[in-house]
Amino acid sequence: MTPEPSRDFAAFLDAWELFRAPVIAGTIAGALVGLLGVYVVLRRMVFLAGALSQTAGLGVALAFFGRIRFGLEGLWGSPTLGAALATTTTALLLVGRRTQQGTQRDSLLGLAWLAGAAGTLIVGTRIVQEVQDIQAILFGSAVVVLDDDLVRVIGLALPLGLLHVWWQRGFVQAAFDADGARVRGLPVWLLDVTLIGSIALSISLCTRVLGALPVFAFSVLPAMAALRVCPNIERALVVAAAVGAACGAGGYYLAWRFDLPVGAAQTLLAVVFVAVAALVERALLRRVG
Amino acid sequence: MRRDTGTLSDVISEYPLLRAEALRIGYAGRALLPPLTFEVRVGEMWAIIGRNGSGKTTLLRTLLDLTPRVDGGLERLGVRGIGYVPQRLGLDLGVPMRCVDVVRGGLDRGWSFLDALRPLRARAQVEQALRETDTLAFAERQFVTLSEGQKQRVLMARALACEPGLLVLDEPTSAMDAVAEEAAFDLVERLQRARGLGVVVVAHHLAVLARRATHLVYLDADCGLVLAGPSGDVARHATFVEHYGHLFDPPGPHEAHGGHCDDHDHHGPTTEHPR
Repeated sequence: MTPEPSRDFAAFLDAWELFRAPVIAGTIAGALVGLLGVYVVLRRMVFLAGALSQTAGLGVALAFFGRIRFGLEGLWGSPTLGAALATTTTALLLVGRRTQQGTQRDSLLGLAWLAGAAGTLIVGTRIVQEVQDIQAILFGSAVVVLDDDLVRVIGLALPLGLLHVWWQRGFVQAAFDADGARVRGLPVWLLDVTLIGSIALSISLCTRVLGALPVFAFSVLPAMAALRVCPNIERALVVAAAVGAACGAGGYYLAWRFDLPVGAAQTLLAVVFVAVAALVERALLRRVG
Repeated sequence: MRRDTGTLSDVISEYPLLRAEALRIGYAGRALLPPLTFEVRVGEMWAIIGRNGSGKTTLLRTLLDLTPRVDGGLERLGVRGIGYVPQRLGLDLGVPMRCVDVVRGGLDRGWSFLDALRPLRARAQVEQALRETDTLAFAERQFVTLSEGQKQRVLMARALACEPGLLVLDEPTSAMDAVAEEAAFDLVERLQRARGLGVVVVAHHLAVLARRATHLVYLDADCGLVLAGPSGDVARHATFVEHYGHLFDPPGPHEAHGGHCDDHDHHGPTTEHPR
């Protein structure tokens, strides 16, 4: 009987070459999607990640259908283009659609989710051979991340992160006081399109690299934790990014340490952060009064 | 008419901040009311009044370019821009935001959000807006924990942060009691004098405006009647008196022409703009 290999932190670092890509990808994706999640949560779009996955699925299914039925080749039959078009269309439909309570946008998310799911199922009956490929294309795994995918995540996160630091005041004003921003001449439509577009793009790519569960978790839970303990949105953006990054990296380590599924470990760690934030919030409220 | 001589403040006070010329408001290309003409100048307080559904908010949103106008001209002439105080911030009250953050949020105009250092350079502007609205003491408190009167003062500070020439308020006292309402309009008057502002305000409660509004826009969708001009002139119009009594001015020999609401039904819509 062979002894259990050591699973302490030193052993984790020894095997770093093996874990490097998924840990870095998880950390960066956690930070990026965590930061954007503040807008997702505050604008009541928590099901955006799910809705985009479903519509992207429909886009991929339609691309396969076009290949089989109409002989589309090259770019026009590309599942990636199909997913991108479907995702972008959904995101654009959401721009500016809101009432005071965000109910219209919420309904549209439900519509996108259901139309995507039903459409994928219906088109799927005509492309039986390729149905498995749809899942493989759309949903990656947080366990194994290819170097190419890591480069893609970094290539997206770096410019988007810088843009969100630079344009943060514009995004916040367009998102939470659109009328006031319009009166003061801010380009609200452009800011809204850029914000929703960057969220859609980040969620789509990260889902493709890491899988649906952790990305959905990154888009909701770090923001929930941050908004409980931060006095304003600016600090919440920083804390949410930090919590997201910690969940991406820490979740991977916990999965390795306790032999858990990676996406689930990252998600559960984020849940723990929310619980801790709730306790801190309660303590802060008690101290204040 | 513009004078050829006078002090700088005379010239400034004659310079219009906002000009509506035969302006028609409505939705989907359909006009709600007859055309409306007026100019708002420095030092003037224009109150937009009328019953529920008369088009007050539509007019205000049209003046702010938030709702497209059906027809006519609208010019925003003040170089200092507009400070807008909404009925409530388009913000979920669950969002964490200190008062100072709310005020800072009003700093940017146009593309100034691209200047990352602007909040640092504009600290004095924010502090002055907080001080002028008596909100400096609770600048660090969460906006959601404030009373309605305090919230409204913070929103006024937000509107002042970008140093506007025209202050536009949409029912700023709708959630206040009479004492808080009086205090809120005292503050508006004080700010108007201190900063040399023009003011446009939508309001329901006329008693508190009677001593303050220099001009009125009276809207009556039922009669198809629009009146705009100095308070005394508008307040003497028969339809206005019929609805509100002699709130602004005792009736006198200068009673405005126009007759009762029913009369206008016979003669078609009336637009009066005494200026």
